[in-house]
Amino acid sequence: MNSIVSRLDASAAVRELLGWLLGEGRTDAVLTPRRLPEDGSCDLALLTAPEGLDRAEPLLPVMTTNAGQALSHLSLSGRRLTAVLKPCELRAFTERVKREQGSFERLLTVSFVCGGVFPLGRVLSDGPDTLAAAALEAARRGETPAGVRETCAACEHFVPTNADVLVSSGEDGCRIHLCTPRAEEALEGFGGERVDTAPDPAGIERVLAARSAARAELYRALPVEGGLDGLIDLFGRCVGCHGCSRVCPICYCLLCDFESAGLEGDLPRFRAALDERGGLRLPSGTILFHLGRMTHMSFSCVGCGMCSDACPAGIPVAAVFGRTGGRTAALFDYVPGRDAEEPVPVTVFREEELDDIG
Amino acid sequence: MSASAGVRPAGTVRIGVYLCECGPNIAGRIDLDAVRDALLAEGGRYRGAELVVKRYGFLCSGPGKQFLTDEIRDNGLTHLVVGACSPRDHDSTFMGVCAGTDLNPYLYRIVNIREHCAWVIDDPSGATGQAVSYLLGGISRVLRQSPLHERPLEVNPDVLVIGGGAAGMETSLALAGNGRRVVLVERGPAPGGCMGSSSAAAEAVRRHPDIRILRESEVSKVIGFLGNFEVEVTRRDGPAETVAAGAIVLAIGSRTFEPTDDPDVSYGPDDDVVPLEAMERLLAGGGEPLLRDGSPPRSVALVHCVGRGELGYCSGSCCARALALAARLRAVRPDMEVVSVHRDLCLPGRGGTGILDRADASGVGRIRALRAVQSGNELAVEAMDGTPSKRRFDLVIPVPGTVPADDTGRLAAMLRIPLDEQGFFREMHRMVDPSGTATDGVFLAGTAHGPKDLRTALRFAGSCAGQILTRLVPGERLVPEVKVSEILEAYCTGCGNCREVCVYGAIHADPDRGISVVNEAVCRGCGNCYGSCPSGALRTRHFTNEQLLREVDEALRRRVPVLPEPPVAEVHP
Amino acid sequence: MTGDPGSGGAAFLLPVGEGPDGAILGLLAGALESGAVDALLLPVPLPAGDSFAWILTRDPAVAAGGRPLPPVMPVQGARALRDLTRKGESDVRILALMRPCEIRAARELAKLGQVRTDGLLLASWDCPGALCSKDHVADPDGAGRRFAGMIAAGSPDAGGGVRSSCPGCVDFSMTDADVHFGLLGEQDGALPVMAGSPAGRTLLGSLGLTPAAGTARWKLRAEMERERRETSRRAADEAAGSKLRGAEGLLSFFSACIGCRICRAVCPICHCRLCHFDSETPRPDPDAFFDGAELRGGASLPANRLLFHVGRMTHMSLSCVSCGQCSDACPAGIPVADAFGFVGRAAREAFGYEAGRGDGIPHPLRTWRRIEPDGIGGLVRDAEPGACAHE
Repeated sequence: MNSIVSRLDASAAVRELLGWLLGEGRTDAVLTPRRLPEDGSCDLALLTAPEGLDRAEPLLPVMTTNAGQALSHLSLSGRRLTAVLKPCELRAFTERVKREQGSFERLLTVSFVCGGVFPLGRVLSDGPDTLAAAALEAARRGETPAGVRETCAACEHFVPTNADVLVSSGEDGCRIHLCTPRAEEALEGFGGERVDTAPDPAGIERVLAARSAARAELYRALPVEGGLDGLIDLFGRCVGCHGCSRVCPICYCLLCDFESAGLEGDLPRFRAALDERGGLRLPSGTILFHLGRMTHMSFSCVGCGMCSDACPAGIPVAAVFGRTGGRTAALFDYVPGRDAEEPVPVTVFREEELDDIG
Repeated sequence: MSASAGVRPAGTVRIGVYLCECGPNIAGRIDLDAVRDALLAEGGRYRGAELVVKRYGFLCSGPGKQFLTDEIRDNGLTHLVVGACSPRDHDSTFMGVCAGTDLNPYLYRIVNIREHCAWVIDDPSGATGQAVSYLLGGISRVLRQSPLHERPLEVNPDVLVIGGGAAGMETSLALAGNGRRVVLVERGPAPGGCMGSSSAAAEAVRRHPDIRILRESEVSKVIGFLGNFEVEVTRRDGPAETVAAGAIVLAIGSRTFEPTDDPDVSYGPDDDVVPLEAMERLLAGGGEPLLRDGSPPRSVALVHCVGRGELGYCSGSCCARALALAARLRAVRPDMEVVSVHRDLCLPGRGGTGILDRADASGVGRIRALRAVQSGNELAVEAMDGTPSKRRFDLVIPVPGTVPADDTGRLAAMLRIPLDEQGFFREMHRMVDPSGTATDGVFLAGTAHGPKDLRTALRFAGSCAGQILTRLVPGERLVPEVKVSEILEAYCTGCGNCREVCVYGAIHADPDRGISVVNEAVCRGCGNCYGSCPSGALRTRHFTNEQLLREVDEALRRRVPVLPEPPVAEVHP
Repeated sequence: MTGDPGSGGAAFLLPVGEGPDGAILGLLAGALESGAVDALLLPVPLPAGDSFAWILTRDPAVAAGGRPLPPVMPVQGARALRDLTRKGESDVRILALMRPCEIRAARELAKLGQVRTDGLLLASWDCPGALCSKDHVADPDGAGRRFAGMIAAGSPDAGGGVRSSCPGCVDFSMTDADVHFGLLGEQDGALPVMAGSPAGRTLLGSLGLTPAAGTARWKLRAEMERERRETSRRAADEAAGSKLRGAEGLLSFFSACIGCRICRAVCPICHCRLCHFDSETPRPDPDAFFDGAELRGGASLPANRLLFHVGRMTHMSLSCVSCGQCSDACPAGIPVADAFGFVGRAAREAFGYEAGRGDGIPHPLRTWRRIEPDGIGGLVRDAEPGACAHE
């Protein structure tokens, strides 16, 4: 495909690209990660003028919020938007578009071959600058940085398939691949040398092999085969904060079913349970919440790992949901985020299906 | 959920924006053609909606209203925005126009481009820009409004009277005599009060076909408003009853101050001390004053103003009663010495001094004293010049002041009526509305409103009945508020903040569901509860946060030339 | 507030035996077995041993496995009470054992219609603080040992890795509980257990305990510890106050926030199902949001994160009991409790309000007074509780 050569590292190249788009009036606003050096933190920023880009860090290996989630509401406006998205964020956004929570209509997506993000705890201890440097170094070597989220180390979808613009890193800078007519149109006149190339398959194969091995290991370590006892081992520490659901890009409900009045207990019911079973755990519904959320959304899980990172009890939510969700999705030959036209399995009726389940 | 929640689906929305020239008042300062052009240029923002913008001379005139009516019909408008004067002037005018069409009056909004723009901004371009901002805000707001449906009620002309004493009976008879049905709630076994249950008034009340007496009953709960009250009455015998009435009269009377609560008065059961009221009843029943040992008293002292210092006010009718009683005692037992001990005498009105003359003529003695301290049957008197003396009287009659009835506080809280400094129900206005109260539909009669003599009390009762007869007319219709609050059960956690701040008693708790619930028939849409709800569970219709905030957002979106440019700084919200 | 045994007015001796945990378990079991209560609510270690859960039980065998004095506080006890008692009525009698801050939070929730105290007996203990949950998960044994040291010393300073809100907590001892275990008063193999209410006194009286001659040692040690904590608290509040100064201070303090709302979710006081700051009201219209970004040169996402914190402060900080759940749970490492505790204390001073008392004084945010206190730091001029227009 038509690709632009840049001598800059990928993050700087994308920064330049965003500035050009804004300056040329090809877009109304850009969405990109940003560093806030005075506070030692970082955020996701919506910028409307090139002047605001000086602290933008498009390939910052940090995910304070899944941009696919933040983007969905914004994408419903009448403005043209360019969004820098990690592959999982793009897939998450695609899943949200399928559920009427966003639109591709006026959106230009910029994604990249992703090395992963560091856990929030590392942002706190090391600071964004150190992490950015580590990621850059690893990208030059075509490797996954050490210490990224365990779901990132195990992620096989690190090369986005339906971005408009795809950026891949190399030893001598990076390549900006224009994957769609929208990208071609938006970036007409940008940059220097154009070549016909694609991200290096051999390098990708290498990384993929490492990721698959990590994935297998990650799932193997989960105590998911133990029935209820296994679930208690997994979710016993859960404090019922539902933070996993809030940071999840797929969970879009304003009021979660598991926070609604309908599923609450009341004193007479607790009393009856006490009489029947001799004891019960409070707050109630800890494991029900997880099983329920798995039922509702796990087949759309894109493995971004926000849930595990946010969990105050250190539960490997992302690994569990990724594993369960992956197996469920496989039953329907479904891959979340693969194609915006592919319907969500729960919305599809087939007269005969899943004969082997039962 | 789409970003523009509350906006109607594409293709069905037609917003009519009408700009009133108001003669030179608006058109003289604001360039209405420029406003129209600016609004139409922004029309693309309302995806799926069509915008019609026109100007007109005087929209509030007859032809103007007809013009609007025709426009609504001809353009099939689904929403209406009128850019004109203050809502206080003509909001209801244009709501009336809508009511005459298929357009729900709550899908309309008036935007004030006269008092807020043309009349206060000298620079025409500034005024024009401001008007555009306001109108954009108004359009955004009206798009988020929901149709609301008024349901008129016929007023209930019946009246509930609480208290079957002199004033309560008088009010009931006056109302029933004018064709109203009355329910009279009496705490005791029968109506009568100080006039007695066999008085002519009590007899008349019992016999009247339009007066229904609930004996040994009490009002326990009231909801509603003028024309539409629902009152729960608990009965000693039988289940509680709900009475519907259009007005409520508080005629619960008063009681007398307990004499021994006055530090200058002490006596016990072994003393020959009989309070004024008891002695009055004794004589009224044909009895004679006798001491405890059965002998007739040779000397009687009536001690005025018992409790005056504690209460801090004069009860106004006790001196006359005391002197009248003193004269009667003299008449019943001419050989008995009867003395009135007082510092001052309060004898207002026609006939007041007559009572004093009759008392003097019948030989009632008078002791003027700065102070009289009673211990049992002994009075320690301090004369006006300070000379002390002590004297024993065979019989002492304390004359105490009037204090509010026991139930006053409870009923005041229930009906949300303030009390005055003395603890009686406070009237709406001393001069202009002495029978009404702060709660529309609740009226006062008798001494529940403050100490007064019987004649005055009856006069007040008549005035109360008159007020009700004119304010509550059978066949009239009232429209309960539709811009009321609503609570979304799914979100409410029953914390009760809203219940605490509601001054109309319109919200109650549902402990089984663990939520609060609004009674829409009682709610007046004041919005106190909306401000108190920490969650997203409660909102007041037609004034939702979303409507208000979007209107402001939209109005501020354009940079109005008269306002300074905001500083361009990168701020993390 | 450390104080004399309250209206219960009785103190008894509980032999400590092998340690306070076992002794307290024994007393709880006795209450259950004697039928004085129908069920117990207490922390029980998870099978994995790395955390604890609130268990409501009527089975003495289950209760015997409990840990009355857990080193961590994964779920604020008042949240468990809220879940249990918010809706519906029952005549079940429950004895719940929790930290003083959990009891204080429950008292606040009772004022907000979220906890019913009918049939509920609340028992507390002298708390030396709670360890950070993540440390405990990483090394339960090490954390347990550190905590044992803290219990023995009665102080958070004796351990490491304590929540930042604990060293400054002056309400660590007897507050408005029905029963209180005075761990600081352990002497000659017994510790005082005190009644704080008539119901508590009845319960303790029925258990056959030896009455205590007095509680002098407990009072003295509690007073000394309170002075130490008071000093820490003043220093912490001063530090928080200077950090939070002005808009820049607030923005900087919360700059790492990711908008996950976990602080709200673990807070015992925040009981709303749909938080106002998650509702449609503050949700920016996308076009308006763009305009705002344009005017200011940029916007940060997720939107309105600072608004959420300032708003939550406005709504609940008057009831904040400084338990520290928020800081403990924050994935971005923001010391939320330092800010909320500081603001809450200042706000309560302005209203003349104490949080966490079972005193029947209504919550200021829903109480109308004709004359209100005149501003933060101002004096309260008319402090009649419940004064209203009629009176």
